[in-house]
Amino acid sequence: MPLAETTLVEAINQGLRRLLRERPEVVLFGEDIGAFGGAFKATLGLQQEFGEARVFDTPICESAIFGAAIGMATQGLRPIVELQFVDFGMTAVHQLLNNAGTMHYRTGVAVPMTVRAPCGGGICGGPFHSEELEAFFCHMPGVKVVYPAFPADARALLVSAALDPNPVIFLENKYLYRHVKEWLPADWEPIPLGVAQVCRPGSDAVVLTYGAMVHEALRAAEQVEQEGAGTVMVLDLRTLKPLDADAVLAAVAATNRVLIVHEGWRTGGFGAELAALVAERAFHLLDAPVVRLTAPDVPVPFAPELERAYRPGADTIHAALLELLDY
Amino acid sequence: MSRKQTKATPPAAARSRSAQAALPGSTLLRCMLLTQLTEERLVRLYHQGRISGGVYISRGQEAIGAATAAAGGPDDLYAPLIRDMSVHIGRGEPVLDIFRHCLGRVTGPMKGRDGNVHYGCLARGVYPMISHLGAMLPVVTGAVMARRRQGRPAVGFAYLGDGATSTGDFHEAVNFAAVFDVPVIFVIENNQFAYSTPITRQFRCRNLADRAVGYGIEGLAADGNEAVDLYRLVRGLVDQLRARPRPVLLVCDTMRMRGHGAHDDFSYVPRDLLERFTARDPLDLARARVIADGALTAAEVARLEQVCQAEVDAACQQALAEPPPDPATLTEGVYAAG
Ligand SMILES: Cc1ncc(C[n+]2csc(CCOP(=O)(O)OP(=O)(O)O)c2C)c(N)n1
Ligand SMILES: [Mg+2]
Repeated sequence: MPLAETTLVEAINQGLRRLLRERPEVVLFGEDIGAFGGAFKATLGLQQEFGEARVFDTPICESAIFGAAIGMATQGLRPIVELQFVDFGMTAVHQLLNNAGTMHYRTGVAVPMTVRAPCGGGICGGPFHSEELEAFFCHMPGVKVVYPAFPADARALLVSAALDPNPVIFLENKYLYRHVKEWLPADWEPIPLGVAQVCRPGSDAVVLTYGAMVHEALRAAEQVEQEGAGTVMVLDLRTLKPLDADAVLAAVAATNRVLIVHEGWRTGGFGAELAALVAERAFHLLDAPVVRLTAPDVPVPFAPELERAYRPGADTIHAALLELLDY
Repeated sequence: MSRKQTKATPPAAARSRSAQAALPGSTLLRCMLLTQLTEERLVRLYHQGRISGGVYISRGQEAIGAATAAAGGPDDLYAPLIRDMSVHIGRGEPVLDIFRHCLGRVTGPMKGRDGNVHYGCLARGVYPMISHLGAMLPVVTGAVMARRRQGRPAVGFAYLGDGATSTGDFHEAVNFAAVFDVPVIFVIENNQFAYSTPITRQFRCRNLADRAVGYGIEGLAADGNEAVDLYRLVRGLVDQLRARPRPVLLVCDTMRMRGHGAHDDFSYVPRDLLERFTARDPLDLARARVIADGALTAAEVARLEQVCQAEVDAACQQALAEPPPDPATLTEGVYAAG
């Protein structure tokens, strides 16, 4: 089968196209996603191909967008909505937390909706266009959270997210949109939610991570290995909720040293959940204390110099790994 | 785009007994009686300590839900709020299920997972509210959009109080419905108070219906206490919206005749305001109306009240005897399987 070089944002476009083609109940809506193709061009060409009834622009109203999607999902449609930036979803998070997240528990009625949300830093977006909010979403009962790091995963997980009968937050790292490419076939199988992936084998330590930090961790692990300091496994969680706890525990058992990396804030961040899981269920397997490398608890700064200091990267991961391996 | 004032125009139709029987008066009265008697019993159960949490009743506002519920067809969708038991009853919720729900019984529509005014039945097109005021408005809007796409001529009824008109969600939902021409009737029940806060602290416009102009839609101001007239108005409105889909603000003037909840002595409500509305009690008006219209005799009204009371008594007794949910089921059903 011929392969095509595909960016993460193109892969998402392919996933959306496939869903629109195969599932007549799928509708896409959000701000500027129609003829314009979305702020990041993830929906490019879709309105032209599938028509305005299925791919349409809305006013700027995140709560009405979520709320309408919830209403549609309870009446047989399968809405996929785009947040222009995840940051703006916080004006309407009550709809996800209280309406979408409680519906099945309270009524037994499913809410098959997906929220696509560009997130993360590294593009000098400043405090309000760079936020990394997965921990907020993971805190909500009844909601699933998916965060792919590779184009192949992105399109395959997007299909599974949209076909899942529950509300799913599908996080798309803006930095990765065009910085990561893979040679992909035209056909693909969906990847089930809740399954992590070992991106790089290793036996001396594991980096538990997701999103853009997977790529930073891979670079750091490569360097550590070249320096002869040890072999480092990188585990890409891919889905944060439900979390693939078995894969995490297996990775800890195989390496005995754990570094957790994410670009979201430290306090109450997803890394705290991972550290707790390891402490509760794999404490006896550890040769060193669990280490977290995260953004500090400060707003995402704008200036490139500040943002570089704010966001973990291959260099800081490398340093943390050396320290961990030396413990 | 104008605000219209509706008047209580008595029907000019023939007064023969058979013609009057077709009018909704007795249906509306029955719904309002069941509501009032059920709520009265719930308040008693609350003061007896047999209902946990709180009890929020609609005394004084029963006509609005009864009239609007009766005006809808089988495809229509409803999102009732805090003062809308008569919507639930009018759309087919058995009184028994209301008692089960308020008592937190596993047999209730929410199986004890939610309580007081948060219930509904999606199979009948009635959305169970969440507490967050305004949050249901875009949900019912989206639900109506979905139904109409499937070729069903749905109209939505989204309810809110005067206080909830101050939320951002109200603005977002009305504007969204306006932009997409979604036929939703936003039923604003202006009962003069939001908990202890009077409407003078809620908005500056003369009438909330005036807000419609800003959304490019129609706003209607109606008397919320005259059930039959309100029914006629809304019935006509529903036909219009089916023919030409678009949202409408329907502002119903009314009064919360009790506290915000059963815990509240509402001492902050001016007595003269209460007296003014006591003279226009929707149940009294409905009783007088069915008799005046010849739909029921005074004796038939008395009989109807007895029948409703018996239904409420039986439902309450049965629900009290039913079991609570099993704590072992606590974590079940958070997610849909599949
Ligand atoms: C967003 C939000 N804020 C506050 C509350 C608490 N609250 C519940 S009912 C109420 C008053 C509502 O007044 P109104 O909208 O006029 O409805 P009414 O009770 O008069 O029918 C308040 C403040 C809430 N439920 N939701
Ligand atoms: Mg009020």
